[in-house]
Amino acid sequence: MFQSATEVTVALNYNESCSEAVTMQFDSIARAYELYTVIGKGHKGTATIHLAQHIGTGMQVAIKRIDLENWDQEFGYIQHEIVLTKQLQHENLLPHFCSFIHQHELWTVMPAMGFGSCRDLIHAFFQAGLTETAIVYILRDVLRALEYLHGRGIIHRGVKASHVLISGKGRVCLTGLHNSFSTIKGGQRLRTVYDYPQHAVDCLQWFSPEILEQNLGGYDTKSDIYSVGILACELANGQAPFVDMPVTQMLLEKIHGTKPMLADSNTVGEFIIDDNSMEEVDEEGKRKTAEEKADNIFFQRTFSANLHNLVSLCLEKDPANRPSATQLLNHPIFRSLRKKTSEVLPEALQPVTPLTDIAKLPKDNSQDEEITRQMSEVSMEEDWTF
Amino acid sequence: MPLFGPKTKSPQDLVKSLKESLNQLAKDKEKGEKEAKKASEDVCKTLQSIKTMLYGTPEQEPQTEHVSQLAMEMYQSNMLLALVQNLGKIDFEGRKDVVVIFNNLLRRQIGTRSPTVEYICMKPDILMELIKGYETHEIALNCGMMLRECCRYEALAKIMLYSQEFYKFFDYVEVSTFDIASDAFSTFKELITKHRALSAEFLENNYDKFFSHYQHLLYSENYVTRRQALKLLGELLLDRHNFQTMTRYISSPDNLKLMMIMLREKSRNIQFEAFHVFKVFVANPNKPKPILDILLRNKEKLVEFLSKFHTDRSEDEQFNDEKAYLIKQIKELRAPDGEPIRQVSSASDFKASDTAS
Repeated sequence: MFQSATEVTVALNYNESCSEAVTMQFDSIARAYELYTVIGKGHKGTATIHLAQHIGTGMQVAIKRIDLENWDQEFGYIQHEIVLTKQLQHENLLPHFCSFIHQHELWTVMPAMGFGSCRDLIHAFFQAGLTETAIVYILRDVLRALEYLHGRGIIHRGVKASHVLISGKGRVCLTGLHNSFSTIKGGQRLRTVYDYPQHAVDCLQWFSPEILEQNLGGYDTKSDIYSVGILACELANGQAPFVDMPVTQMLLEKIHGTKPMLADSNTVGEFIIDDNSMEEVDEEGKRKTAEEKADNIFFQRTFSANLHNLVSLCLEKDPANRPSATQLLNHPIFRSLRKKTSEVLPEALQPVTPLTDIAKLPKDNSQDEEITRQMSEVSMEEDWTF
Repeated sequence: MPLFGPKTKSPQDLVKSLKESLNQLAKDKEKGEKEAKKASEDVCKTLQSIKTMLYGTPEQEPQTEHVSQLAMEMYQSNMLLALVQNLGKIDFEGRKDVVVIFNNLLRRQIGTRSPTVEYICMKPDILMELIKGYETHEIALNCGMMLRECCRYEALAKIMLYSQEFYKFFDYVEVSTFDIASDAFSTFKELITKHRALSAEFLENNYDKFFSHYQHLLYSENYVTRRQALKLLGELLLDRHNFQTMTRYISSPDNLKLMMIMLREKSRNIQFEAFHVFKVFVANPNKPKPILDILLRNKEKLVEFLSKFHTDRSEDEQFNDEKAYLIKQIKELRAPDGEPIRQVSSASDFKASDTAS
C-alpha cells in the first residue's frame, strides 16, 4: 500500500539552479544514505546532525539523528516540529525531505546548507559581525519566511542566528520550528497567545518583553518581530544583546524599555554611557575615554540610517508600534534591493567558502561499529522458562 | 485577499463558485497539470474567502449571519464530502484551508446542538474518506487533523470505531514515514481513549479482533510503534472502565510470556513500559492456573531479575514501591495445592506509568 520513498518537489522549495519542477525520491530508509562528518548537535545533545549523501542520486543532504532511547521528553514535542514542517512550503523555510525511524533513532533528511548557520558563521569568521549587505539580505529573507508563517497563524518563537541557515548557493532558510505555536486551534483563531514555550531556555535573549512578562496581555505574531530586531543586532554586533547578563536583569532591562542597538560610529556615545556589557574599563582599572572606545573596530564602521531605523522599529517595546513582517518588507531598506539573495550573499560572506564537496570529508563509521558491537554482544543472558 | 479585492461575495455565491471550480479542477486534472492551473487557482481563492468569512481577519470578527448561511450552503451542496474526496487535487496551501474550514464548521454550535456533527452522522462516507486519506502521502496529515477534530465527538468516534476502516489504522501506524505514522498513532489513540465508556464497550465486544491486530504492533520492527503501543496497552489495562478487557488480557499465558520477554529487551524504555503491563499479571488476585504456573516456574529468576531492575530510578517513588510490591508477591507465590494464595489488592490500585512517553 505504501512506498518507502517520499516524493518531494525539489525545484520549488530546494534546488535553486533549475527552474523546472523535478520530482525526486527520498527513501525513508537508513541504508539509502551514507553518513559523513558531524556538522552540529541539537536538542541538548540528544540530536546529532551529519552531512550525508543520498546514494541513489549522489545528492548531498543533512541528516538529523535523534536518539529516542535517551530522549526524556514527550514524543509529541518532536512530532510537532516534523508534522508542522511537512505542512509548510516556502523558499525561505528549511524543508524536511523525509523522516523515518532507524533502530531507536529518528532520522530527518534535510537539504545540506553549505554555509551553515549565521551563528556558526559569526562564531568562526565574523566575530565583529557581518557586513550591512549580508545583514539586509538575510533579514529580508527571514521576514519573508515570517510573513508566510504569520499569514498562516503560526508564531515562530525561536528566531535567532543559530536558526538561520545559508545554503552553499546563498539561499537563506529559517529553521527551528520546535518552539512554534499555531494560533489556529479548534476551529478558532486566537488573537492573543498566553502559552509560555516550555523548551526555550536558549531563546530567552531573543524573546520580546511581552512573552517574558507572561502577563494577562499575552502576545502575538509581533513578538517574532522583536526577535528579528535582536537577530539584526546579533548579526551586526557579533553577539546578541543582553547575552552576558543574568536572565532576570535582561528581563528588567526589556521591561524598562531598554532598546538594544547596532554598535557603530553613530551609537558609540550610547554604548559608553548605557551598556555595561561592553568593556568599559581597561586593564589598569581606568575608564576608557570616548576616543579610545571609538578606536574599537565596532565603532569605526557606520551602518546606514535605514538599518538603524529598521532595528529600532522592530525593538519597539509596545507590540502595537512594531510593524508586521509584511509592513517591514516595504521598508525603504528592502525596497532598494534589486538582486536575488543568491547573487549577493556568497560574495558578501567571503572569504568563507561553503562546504560543498562531500567527497573530501571523512565518512562516519559509527553505524558499522554499532553493528559490530551488537554482533559481539549477542546476549548470553539467562532466559525465562516457559 | 478579499480585503483589498472586489466586494465580498455572499455565502451562496462562494459555495456555488467553489462547487463549479472544484468540478472544473477534477476535469482539468485529467488533462494534465498545466491545464488545471487556472481551476486550481480559482479553488484556492474561493477557499481563502470562505476561510476569511469563518475566521474573520485580525481587524474584523466573523459575522454570525454569514457563518450560518455558509454552513447551510455547505451542507445542502454536500460540499464537505466533495472537498475531502478532491483533497488530493487541491494544491498545497488550499488543502490546509480545507482543514481549517472543516474544523471550524465542525465546532459550530447552535445551543447544545452541533449541526455539522449531526450532518456527518448522516454522511459517514466523509469519515471513511478521511481515514483512507492516510494512504496518500500528500493529504495524510491534512486528513489526520480533521479526523482528530472528529474524534472529539462521541457520535463520530463511534462510527469510526465500529467501521471496517478502523482496522486500517494498524497498518497506518507502521508506515515508514515517521510524520504519517506518528500522526496516525495520535488519531488511533484518541479513538480508543477519548470516550472511555464507548471504547470500553468497543474493546469488550471486539476483544479478539482488536487484540489480534494489536499484537502485531507489539511485535513491530519499528521501535517507536512498539514503544508507543506498549505504553498505550498499559494505559488501557489500568483504566477502570476497561476492567473486563483487562481481566481477559491478563488471563492469557501468551500475553504474560510476551511481557516477560519484553522485560529483557535491550531498550530500557521498552523494559520499563513492559514492567507496567507485567505488574498487572502479578497483582491479579485470581490468577488462572496457566499464569500462576509460569510465574512459579520462574519464581527465583523473577525475584533476582526484579531486584536488579532499573535500580537507578531511585527518585521515582511510585515505581520503587510497585517493584518492591511485585517482588514480595512473587516470593509469596505458592502452588494451589500447597498453601492458599494470599489475596492481594486489585490490580487497578496501580496507576499507568507517566514518566516515559
